[in-house]
Amino acid sequence: MLLNKESSGSRWRTRPDGEGKVSGKLQYLTDMRAEGMLIGRVLRSEQAHARILSIRIEKAIEVPGVHAVITHEDVPGLNGFGIALPHQPVFCSDRVRYTGDAIAAVAAETDEIAEYALSLIEVDYELLPLLENPEEAMKKDAILLHAEGNVLHHTEYRKGEPETVFTDCCHVVEESYYTPRQMHTYMETEGGLFIPEDNGRLTVYSATQHGLMDRLQLSRILDIPQEDIRVISSPIGGSFGGKDELNVQPYGALLALRTLRPVRLHNSRAESVRAGLKRHPMKITMKTGCDPEGIIRAHQVRIISDTGAYATLGAEVLNFATEHVMGPYIIDHVDVKGFAVYTNNGVSGEFRGFGGNQAIFALEGQIDRLAERLQIDPWEMRRRNLRKYGDLGPLGQEIAQTDGAFQVWEALAGSPLMTEAASTDSDSGVVEPWIVTGTGAAIAMHGAGLGYGIPDPAGGRLSLTLEGKIEAVFGYEEFGQGLIATMEQMLIEQFGLAAEDLSIVIGDTDVVPDSGSSTASRSTSMMWMALKRLRPDFTARVLQAAAMIKPELDNYEMKLGPGGIWLKDGGLLLTYKDLAQRISEPIVCNTKFTYPTTPFKRVGAHFLYTYSAIAVRVEVNLLTGRVRVLDQYHAVAAGPVANPQGYLGQIEGGSSMAVGFTLSEDAVMSGGSYVTKNLDTYLVPTIADMNGSIQVQPIEDLPDHDTYGPRGIGEVGSVNLAPAVASAIFQAVGKRVTKLPIDPEWLQSTPFIPQKVVNIHVEP
Amino acid sequence: MSSHNSDPNLDEDNLAPLSSEEAFVEERFTFNCNLNGKAISTEIPPSRRLLKVIREDLELTGTKRSCEIGRCGACMVLVDGRPVNSCLVMAYQCSGAEITTIEGLSELGLHPVQRAFLEEGGFQCGYCTPGMVISVVALLEKNPHPTQAEVEEALSGNICRCTGYGGILRAVNKAIGG
Repeated sequence: MLLNKESSGSRWRTRPDGEGKVSGKLQYLTDMRAEGMLIGRVLRSEQAHARILSIRIEKAIEVPGVHAVITHEDVPGLNGFGIALPHQPVFCSDRVRYTGDAIAAVAAETDEIAEYALSLIEVDYELLPLLENPEEAMKKDAILLHAEGNVLHHTEYRKGEPETVFTDCCHVVEESYYTPRQMHTYMETEGGLFIPEDNGRLTVYSATQHGLMDRLQLSRILDIPQEDIRVISSPIGGSFGGKDELNVQPYGALLALRTLRPVRLHNSRAESVRAGLKRHPMKITMKTGCDPEGIIRAHQVRIISDTGAYATLGAEVLNFATEHVMGPYIIDHVDVKGFAVYTNNGVSGEFRGFGGNQAIFALEGQIDRLAERLQIDPWEMRRRNLRKYGDLGPLGQEIAQTDGAFQVWEALAGSPLMTEAASTDSDSGVVEPWIVTGTGAAIAMHGAGLGYGIPDPAGGRLSLTLEGKIEAVFGYEEFGQGLIATMEQMLIEQFGLAAEDLSIVIGDTDVVPDSGSSTASRSTSMMWMALKRLRPDFTARVLQAAAMIKPELDNYEMKLGPGGIWLKDGGLLLTYKDLAQRISEPIVCNTKFTYPTTPFKRVGAHFLYTYSAIAVRVEVNLLTGRVRVLDQYHAVAAGPVANPQGYLGQIEGGSSMAVGFTLSEDAVMSGGSYVTKNLDTYLVPTIADMNGSIQVQPIEDLPDHDTYGPRGIGEVGSVNLAPAVASAIFQAVGKRVTKLPIDPEWLQSTPFIPQKVVNIHVEP
Repeated sequence: MSSHNSDPNLDEDNLAPLSSEEAFVEERFTFNCNLNGKAISTEIPPSRRLLKVIREDLELTGTKRSCEIGRCGACMVLVDGRPVNSCLVMAYQCSGAEITTIEGLSELGLHPVQRAFLEEGGFQCGYCTPGMVISVVALLEKNPHPTQAEVEEALSGNICRCTGYGGILRAVNKAIGG
C-alpha cells in the first residue's frame, strides 16, 4: 500500500512542533538575543595553503565598540576540534590549510563594527603549494598537509581471487565515476548565542546533532569541566549531517568567556559555504566481471575521496563507502581499496548517506553496463545477484536478517512505473520531438548505526513527574526530521497515552542522558528500543504507585491510558495528575544500552540495514540538455512505519536532495576557493524541479524473530536515486553517465541537422 | 606575502570591507510604516535592510535570514500585498508601506494557509516555512485558483531543503481547495 495521508488514517498526526513552525513563533537558536549581547565574527584565511608569518590585531582592538579580538594565543585548552580526530585548529597559528580556516575572532557591539574590525586584522602569509586534487596529494613528492601524511585513511577489503577470475568472465566493464562536492544547504546557517552565566558556567545555544559531543569538545578547548558547560541544541533549521561537527561554537564560547558578555554568532551564507562541511567528492573506479548467466564473479574497486583539509569523519565515511560498493549483491571475488586524502579544498564530512550515495551510484552503474553487454534486463540482472535471507553482509559480517533486498526488488518490479516502462518508453507520446523520456531503476542496501567498534550508546528516561506529566527525556536533536513527533507517536501508540499527557525533553545536556548522536539513521530505532525496554518497568511502577495510594485498586487489572490509569476493560480509575499529587518523588525509569552491532570484528561494519529500490521516469530535453525527473517510485523495507508523515517526508525530502546531487548541485572550488559562494550559483532543487509524482511503498514486514523494530529512513531516500536517473537517461538517449551532477552540455544534441539547399539542379 | 585587504574570499557579499565611516555611521532617519496592522516609527540608518529592521530592531524573528541575496525566500514578507525578499530592500524603500510578516498572519489564530501546512506536513525543520507561507498567501490573495504552473512560478523563489516540496504542494492544494 502506498504511504500517504489518506492511507495512514488517524496515524497521520499533526506535529507537536508544527504550530510554532507555521506561525513563525518557534524561536530557533539563531533567533535568540540577550541583554548586553555582543556580535561575534570570525576572520577566515585568505589563502588556501600558506604559512602564517604574523598576525597583527592591534588596530582591530583599538576600534571603539570592539570588546575582544582573540587568536590562537587565547585558547586555554586544546587548540583543536574534530569528532574523530581533534586536529582542526580552532585558530591557526602557523599554517592555514583551507580558506575556511579561522585565524581570529572579534566580539563587538554591532555587526558593522565587528566587520570593520576584521578588516583591520593583518595577516602575513607565505604561500605554500596548493593541493587541489587528491590524486596529486597522494604522490610521493607532494607537500605534506599533516605530519602523518596526506592519506587520512586507507581501507581494504578482499576476498577470493578477483584478478584470476576476471580472465574467466565473459564480460568485464571498467569505469570511473565522479561525484560532486554537495553542500548540505540547511536553510538556517550555523550560529547561536553563548551566555556566560553568573555562576561561572557557560550556556551554549547552538545547533548540533549530538549535544554531549559538543560539550566534550568545548570542554577540551576551553579547559573547563564538561559540567560547567550546558549545550542547548534544538530546534535546528536543518542539518543533514552538516552541523554534526563543531562550527561556530568554539568562537562563541571563547568570546563569551573572554568578554563575560553574551555573544551571538550567525554565519552569513557565504561564510557557511566557505567554512562548512560538504559531501566527499569521490572518484570511484570499478572493474566488474560476470559470467554468461549474468552472475557477477569479480569486482575490483578503487575509491579516492577528497576529504579536504581536516579529518572530521572522513575516515568513517570512507569505511562506509568501502562497505557499500558491494551493495546487496553476492560477489565471490572482491578487491576494494579506498583512500581518504587531505587536500586544500573545503573540509568534507558527514552528510546524509555517508559515503553510500557515491558508492551506490558507481556500483549500480556497473550492473547496468553489464546487463547491456549481456542484453538482459538490468532489473533481472540485479535479481540474479541479489542477496537472500541468511546471506552474510557485504563485508562477510553477520547482520540482522530480513528479506528486505528481495522485498524491494519485487515491489519495484510490480510498480506501475516499471510495468509501464516496458511498453511506453519507445513512444513517449510527447509532442516535442526534442523531448525524450526513459525509465531507470536502482537498488540500495544502506547500513544504519555507527558500526562495529565505534561507541554507539543509546538510552533514555521516562518519568511520571510531580506535575502529573509523563516525561520522556532523550539526548537527541530535532533538526526537522520529526523526532519529537515520532517520539510522541510511539508513546501514544505503544503506551496508550494521550498527547496532552506528555512532556518530551531533548537537546539540553543538563538534563538528557547519553542517547548517542542523532545521526546514521539511528534515532528512530533507538527511541523505539528504549521505549520497549522502559515500558514494562515504567508501567509496573506507575500501577504499583496507584495501588499503594488506592489499595482498593489492587484487585483490579489496570493499564496506562490517556489521562491516567484505566481499568483493563473499563473506565478511568485515577488521573496522572491525581497520582502525582499523592507521590513524594517522581517515578523515574532509565535505560541504557548500545546500538546493536555485528559480532564481526571490522570497524564500522553494520548490523542493521534498510533496503530501497527506486524507479524513475525522466525527460531529457535534447536542445538544452536538461533532465527532469518526472515520476519516482520508492519501495523501502525498513520495518514498521513509526510515523507516516515523517516517513513520507524523509523519503520525499531525501529524494529531492538526491535530485540536486544528480542534476545541479556542486560546490565548485578553484584555487582553494569556492566559486559557488551562495545560492545564486549553488543550485538546490526548487519546487519547479520537484513537481513530478513521488510514490512511496513502505514494506513493513520483518521476520518473526526480529527484535529491532523500525529501521531508520532518514538517509535511504537519498542514496540510490542518482543511478536510477543515470539508467533512465541511458534508456532515453543511449549515453552512460559517469559524472555528477550531469552536465547538460553533454546531453545536448542537434536533433534537426539543417540541410543546406545546394546543387538542387545538378544535372544527372 | 600578501596582506588581508586583497583577500579574494572577502568579497563574500560582493562588498568591499566597511570603512570606519560606514561602521560608525550615525546618520538616522525616521522610518514609518504600517507593520502587521500597527503604525511603526523608528529611527534607523537609512540604508538598513528591511530584514534587519524586522529581525533586529523590531525583534520579529519569524522572518528568517538565510542567503541574503534574494535567492531562497526565507525572509519573504508582504509589502503592500506583494511578496518581497526583505533582504533585498532597504527600509527607506518601504517608507509608508503596509508590511505583513508571518507573525501578522496569525494574530487571530492560524491563517488557512498556515493550517494547511500544519495538517499536510508541509514543513520539516520549519526554517523556510514562514517565507513559504507568505509566498502562498500572496499568490492566493491575487489568484485564489492558480494552476499548478502558477503555483510553481509563485514558489520558485522559496527554497525548502527538507521536504522535497511534496508536503508543500499538498498544503497549497489544500489551501486552494478549502
